[in-house]
Formats: sequence, structure tokens, C-alpha cells
Amino acid sequence: MRKHTSTFAAVLAFGVAAAALVGCSAPADESDGTITLVVGDRPSADRPEDRKYFDERIAAFEDANPGITIDASEAVWDAATFQALVAGGTQPDVMSVPFTEPQGLIARGQAADITAALEAEGLLDVLNPELLALASDASGNVFAVPTSGYSFGLVYNRAIFEQAGLDPDAPPTTWTELREVAQTITEATGVPGFGQMASSNTGGWSFTGETYSWGGSVENADGSEATFDDEPARQMLQLLHDMRFVDGTLPENALYDQGAIHQDFAAGRIGMILGAPDAYWNVVRNLAFPAEDFGVGGMPQGDGGPHGTLSGGTAQIVNPNTTEAERAAAIKWIEFLYLERFVNEEVAVADARASSEADSVTGLPGLPVVSQESYERYFEWIADYINVPTENFAPYLQAAQEVPIIAEPVSNAQEVYATLDSLIQAVLTDPNADIDALLAQAAQQVQSRLG
Amino acid sequence: MTGTAPAPATTPLAARPAWRRRIARTRSSGVALLIALPAILIFLYFSWGPIFSSLVMSWQRSLPGQGADWVGWANFVYVLTDPVLPQAALNTVYFTVLAALFGFPVPLALAVFISELRRRSWYYSALAYLPVVVPPVVAILLWKFFYDPSTHGVFNQILAGLGLDPLPWLNSPALAMPSIVLEATWAGAGTAVIIYLAALTSVPTDLYEAAELDGASIWRRLRHVTLPHLRGIIVTMLLLQVIGTMQVFTEPFLFTGGGPQNATTSLLMLVYKYAFQQANYGAATALSVMLALVLGVVSVVYLLATRRWDTRA
Repeated sequence: MRKHTSTFAAVLAFGVAAAALVGCSAPADESDGTITLVVGDRPSADRPEDRKYFDERIAAFEDANPGITIDASEAVWDAATFQALVAGGTQPDVMSVPFTEPQGLIARGQAADITAALEAEGLLDVLNPELLALASDASGNVFAVPTSGYSFGLVYNRAIFEQAGLDPDAPPTTWTELREVAQTITEATGVPGFGQMASSNTGGWSFTGETYSWGGSVENADGSEATFDDEPARQMLQLLHDMRFVDGTLPENALYDQGAIHQDFAAGRIGMILGAPDAYWNVVRNLAFPAEDFGVGGMPQGDGGPHGTLSGGTAQIVNPNTTEAERAAAIKWIEFLYLERFVNEEVAVADARASSEADSVTGLPGLPVVSQESYERYFEWIADYINVPTENFAPYLQAAQEVPIIAEPVSNAQEVYATLDSLIQAVLTDPNADIDALLAQAAQQVQSRLG
Repeated sequence: MTGTAPAPATTPLAARPAWRRRIARTRSSGVALLIALPAILIFLYFSWGPIFSSLVMSWQRSLPGQGADWVGWANFVYVLTDPVLPQAALNTVYFTVLAALFGFPVPLALAVFISELRRRSWYYSALAYLPVVVPPVVAILLWKFFYDPSTHGVFNQILAGLGLDPLPWLNSPALAMPSIVLEATWAGAGTAVIIYLAALTSVPTDLYEAAELDGASIWRRLRHVTLPHLRGIIVTMLLLQVIGTMQVFTEPFLFTGGGPQNATTSLLMLVYKYAFQQANYGAATALSVMLALVLGVVSVVYLLATRRWDTRA
């Protein structure tokens, strides 16, 4: 009897303990007058300079705004994990997302409407209206704050250009030129001259930019129709096919996504890839590619151009489950970290000095998120602290003034990109690919998902 | 004094009246239940809870952090009209068939081989099991590197050494799936080898001696002594393998991302795409429910068909 009782007691105690653990819930946020903001994108520990700079900015913001406390989180936007982040309730109050995302987020209600908060801070008049439009819904309500803008261009290896006897300050500006340059590179150095992304939705994303550069489009204006079964797309695919199987200037591996192609580019195994200046972060900073060899030009254009290129960049979104006060605080933080530098010289210089002393990337050119004049003035202010080779970006900035930027497809962009991945893979792996048939089939598949 | 054995301290169970026996049995099974209770609760909460809520979600359209609307069969219709679904189903079945054709006999053959060794069989068992110990992601990334389609790829260099042309491996729609099955077999064979080795020890050795005396060759001994004894285990392992391979995800996801041209997209990759790229949890759970139903039917049919082979019967 005694034996049974003690066994019973032990099991009961364990059962109660287990039940108590299961019943545990996460602690609720305190609300005692101070607003606590959870902000994402804190650089991880393997980037100590960027992390130091970020933490200093947080400290400076908290000093200037005593009612707001910042909790930094390392959560970043990643296509594979973002939905899980939202479902798990751990989406930060403020986080960066690529420009391809806001429309999808708006449709799914995963970004807060911050029009009122922006207006209260007077930011609606300061921000570049073209970029702002990409972050708004059909009624003009703004759901994201563009904080950096890029257009899809051409990233190239200046050292390989020199080695092949090409002028590193004159990257190709048309696809015909690019084809010749790729041939020169492969003949002179044995390295594939051009690399094309084709998997994890990056194939569709590249193809969209490339189609724009030939004067085509992927969807119509309201996103109800697939519009890429036409001549511009055909010419681009034919070019890719010929470069792969006739010229032999594309790598034999067709399944690159952006991470893998950056790795091969940084290893000097590809001469040119599509990308924007922000590829500098990954290629030079993370993958240790020499900064002086990093060159950027505009998106090569098709015949009869310039036609256009895909817009890109970063926007900040606010968690839709925030209160009005938290949104106002979030906008203050966004302004402080990203935008104040364009309107206030003192802030710009202090910020650039901190960034440069922390050895973080300072002065990376791109598209203006504010007016063109403010943007150029900002670069004059921080001229002493820029630590990127600005001359290497000259061809890109030149092209940015000539080539129009076009927004991504409005409807189900990620799903469309996934379907287009298949199309690019077929063109790059099958020597006998029937491009007309493939285009028609892809258009039909996309159309069935848009309808 | 005439000795009768002193009465025992407690009457043995069998000697007690029936109703006392019933109480004792209930008490001891009550304790057993209590001991198992935490495990049961955890299983209910972490396994059956999500399964049940998936079932519910397949009839809803929901967004994380927001409410859910009932949409009836709309998610199932969406999944069934996805142009990629037939290809994904075909790919999954193709993977399962290839894995059964090549990945199933290999561990069996290895186990028989190892059991025939007289010395150092432990060494070969350990070697066979080593690939299982390598973390799956590491193994896949390693093999992905080996499968580089250029002439510098490791496997292509081996082929060149043998005087053969380089193969495109993962870049060819025809070769991509077999390449993946090759890696999956290498990675998974070890566990099955150990299980078969254990089962082989249950075969009575005098049967082998009798067969040898009768002049049976190795193949005939294998066919008439070993395999019939392993029938029960083989039947079970095959079913488990089919159920497991129909749910393949990690290998195609990491090797090719589903390409080239959806040649390696599996059903679970579609589920992943719906859930985490399109945030369409309704479609993801609908597809999962349908897959679970199909696997359930397959299992029932299989078990009924192989009932007469069951060595436990």
C-alpha cells in the first residue's frame, strides 16, 4: 500500500508540473506610459561594425525621445520565414521588406496603414512620390515607408573586365553589347561572362526586369491578365538561349538563386550578373569581394530602347497589430534612422561619421527616396565619410537618369515569379527548347492563377 | 506439532476471490495510466491538436493574426486545379517507385552481406550507419557540390577518369530525380541495415546447415531460408518506406528548389509553397489532408493484401 501511494504521489506531482508548463503563456507587454517598440534588422553578431552602429543609433534615439524604448531584434525579412514569423506573433513592430513585398502585404493585411502617422510627421511631402506610389494601395493609403530605392541594373566584376581587355568604366548598355562583352570575357578568361538566376522565384524576378528592358510587361495594369506572351519576352528568352547554347557564355548550372549567384560572382566565377547597388552589402561585405572590383551599371536595354527596368529597394513596414501611439513612435524611429539625414545637415554628418567609424557601409548610391536635389545635397554633405568606391557607381547613376523605373506586377507577384522560374529553367537547360510553346504555356498557367 | 506451511503474508493473486482480482488489476493499470499520462497529454497537444486544427483550417481561409472564414471546399478546388499538381503528384510517385526499386533492396543486400562475414562485421555495420549520422542538410549540400554539372564537378571528374562524358545531374529534368534518389538511398540505408541485421539473427542457423547439406547455393539459401523468415519485417519496412518517401521534402527543396521545370517538385513542396510563400494556409492544409487520406487508403489496401504474408499470423 505504501509503495503504491508514493508512486502515485510522484506521478501526480510530475503530471501537475507538466500541466503547469503547458499552461504557461508568454508575458504580456507592459503599458505604463513608455512605448516599447520592437524593431527588426539588427545586424547579427558576425557583423560587429554594423551592429555597433545600429546600437549607437538606438541609444541616440532613446536619448532624444525619452518616452520611447527600443527593443532590437535580429528578425529580418526572408521569403521562407516571414509567414511563420507573422503566424508566430513575433513580427517586429518595424521591419524592412524588399520593394517587391508591399503590395502582397497590403493585400494580406500584414502591414499597418500609416498614412495618418506619416502626415502628422510631415513626411508625405518629403518622400519621393514615385516610390511612395509603390508602397500604397489603390486608394492612395500608404502602408510602407520607402527608405532606399534601387533600380535593377547590371553588377559586374571590374577586375575581369580589365583582364579581358575591356574598359571597366563602360559596362554594356544594350543586350547586344552585353552578348559581345560576355563572349570576350569567356574567350579571354574562360569564365562565364553572364549569369542568370532561375530558382526560388529569382528567375521570375529577373525575367520581369529583363522583359521591361525590352519594352514588354508581365501583367496588365490591374493585374488581371498575363501579358508576357509577346515579342519582347521572346527576344529576351532567345538571347538567353543563344548565350547558353550557341555562345557558351552562361554557366552550366541553371539553378541559381540570388544567394548562390552572389557566391559564384564573389568567387570570380561569373563576369556579370543582374543586380542593384545594394548587392554591395552581400557581395563585398559578407562574401569578401574586393570593393574596388565591384562595378554597377544600368540594366542593359533591348533594341529601340531605353525601355525601362524593375524598381527595387527597401521599405519599412509597421506591424498591423500596433496602436496609433505605437505607429507614431514607429514613424519617428524610421525617420530618425533612415530619413532625417536627407533634410538635416548636422544629422547627416553625425550619422555618416558614426557609420564610417563603425566601419559600416556609408554612402551607397541609389535612387532618391526624397527629391533629387535633397539626395544630391546629402552626398555633398557626407563626402568626407563615404567608404564605398563612388566612381564605380557612375555608370549606374548615369543610367538611372535615362532609364525609366517600372513597378513589379501588382497581382500575386511571387506566384507569377515561381511559374516564370520554370520558364527560365527550361530555356537554360534544354538545347531544343521551343520558346514560343513555352511562353504560351507559361502565360496560360499564370493566367489561370490570376483569374 | 504437525507442520502445515505457515499462511503466506499476502494471499497470492490467483487465490483471491474474483472481485478482489479485478480491483487489483484496475489499480495497477490505473498507475500505469498515470505514468503514461504526461506523454499522452503532450502527444495530444503537439501531435493530434495540430492535425485536428489542420483539418479545420482546410475548410477555412485564414490569415495569420486575423480571423478565419469558412469557405467550404474552395481550398480543395484551388489545389486540384493547380496546374503544377499533376506534375508534383507524378514526381512524388516517381520518387517513391525509384526509392523502392533501388533504395529498398540495397540495405537488405548489405545486411545479408554483413551477416555472412565472419570477422569485423561490427566495422562494416558502423560504416553502413555513418551516412545516417551526417545531418541531412549537410549531406545534401555536400552532394549538391559533388553534382556540379561543369567539368570540374567531383562526379563529372570521376566520370572523366573513366572515359565518360560529363552529366548534367541536377540540371537535367531526366536525371535530377534519380540523382536525388541516389543521395537519399546513401543517407537512409544505414538504419534499415541495422534493423535487417537484427532480424537476420532470428533465422535459425540449423536451417542454413540443412540447406547447405542439401547442396543449396547462396542464392537458393537466400531465397528459400532468409527471405521467407524476414517476410514480416520486409512487409512492414516497405510500407513505412512508401509512407515516408511520399512525404519527401528536404531533398528536392535543398537540391533543386523543385526544378528544373518542376521535375523534382514534390507534393510536400507544394504544401510548403502554399503555406510559406503564398500565406495560403487553407490550400496547404487541404493538400495535406488529401495526401493523408491517400496514404491511409494505400496503407489499408497494402496491409489487407499482405495479410497472408504476415509471419505473426
